[in-house]
Amino acid sequence: MTVSPVAARRGAATAAVPSGMASLTAASAALLLLCLAWAAVDPRTIGGDGVWLKPAKFALSFVVTFGTLALVEARLSRGVADGWLLRGTTAAMSVAFAFEMAYIVWRAARGEASHFNVGTEFGALMYQLMGLGALVLVLGIGVYGVAALRDTAARMTPGLRWAVAVGLILTVILTLPTAGFLGGNGGHLVGTPPPGGRSWPLLGWSGTVGDLRPAHFLALHAMQAVPLYALWRERGGREITRTEVAGAAAAWALLTVLVFAIAIAGYPLIPLG
Amino acid sequence: MSADALFGQAGQIALLGWAILIAGPRRYAWLNAVPALVLPAILSGLYAMLVLSRFWAAEGGFGSIADVRRLFADDWALLAGWVHYLAFDLMIGAVVAARMDRVGVTRLVQAPVLVLVFLLGPLGALLALLIEALRRAADGFPSLRTPTLSADLSGATR
Repeated sequence: MTVSPVAARRGAATAAVPSGMASLTAASAALLLLCLAWAAVDPRTIGGDGVWLKPAKFALSFVVTFGTLALVEARLSRGVADGWLLRGTTAAMSVAFAFEMAYIVWRAARGEASHFNVGTEFGALMYQLMGLGALVLVLGIGVYGVAALRDTAARMTPGLRWAVAVGLILTVILTLPTAGFLGGNGGHLVGTPPPGGRSWPLLGWSGTVGDLRPAHFLALHAMQAVPLYALWRERGGREITRTEVAGAAAAWALLTVLVFAIAIAGYPLIPLG
Repeated sequence: MSADALFGQAGQIALLGWAILIAGPRRYAWLNAVPALVLPAILSGLYAMLVLSRFWAAEGGFGSIADVRRLFADDWALLAGWVHYLAFDLMIGAVVAARMDRVGVTRLVQAPVLVLVFLLGPLGALLALLIEALRRAADGFPSLRTPTLSADLSGATR
């Protein structure tokens, strides 16, 4: 751990310099561990799934998101990483994250739905606030993308930096419509599944009717997919071109749109009968 | 004083401590000492007075759930138990807050965790300890270490 100058002057050995994204990654992972332990002791279900499943999925998603942003932040130049823009963005994302997870966990502990639970005035208000929180989080990802785009002094190859920026911004472009549609749909299914209809293990995506979540998943993970592709292509010291990155991004976008179209049409991504 | 009045005052003392811990600056040692030492000491003193003067009149004990229920049927014993919670939850909150400061967990991430310690004591403490452990583990992975401009200026090494 690095030592802050204040701590160093006071002779303290290991007071670390705070990092927002690293803190958020650790907090998400801690929540995930808590949810997994919770799964072992709470047999209640909601909509056929364990009450702890949704909090666990969100916690895992946050680990991946904040972990990715922490890895990016570590490679940006110090002036950018410490600047007010990224600090403010991280602060806003911290607040949104705490609110989202607190509400989702609270509802789950009560055996109630957190999403689409708009039957009461309170539920409807909270759902609006959740949408706002999600918007803050997605836009925050975009801010990091723009910061990476403009930080020519970042400690990344130009190709990787471009892929990171494109991936982060693509996540915003794809997530806003897919998540927005999902939010306004009143539920994640398009169509009514037959009784006993099968779904994907663990993820619970429908195997019988249209499910909007796979497209939401693909949209969200563009920010890992494009940079990972660049890392893979650049192994052995090669350099990836901007055109190739753009091509990879376009392919991912096309895949997302395709999966989304299948869902809206009411068809399952993979028919499971 | 009545048990109810003392209940209210003890609650206010605890709330003051939590407000400082969650929202106050951490750079003044004397201010940090308030929720860490001063207020827990006051609450512990209150607990001591309650136990020494009032506990022995209550029936029941600690041997079984039924015994504890009988003990806490007495308002004064219940008040003492409550003050016990207030004192120790605050002390633990201050400890995990300092520990999270040490590993660089930002205040905005600490805040809801400390609120959880305030509301649901051990659950919050568990979360705080897990977060601290994960931050320490993560520092073993070089790419997750995040040196900042200030560290560069101070010449601190990774």
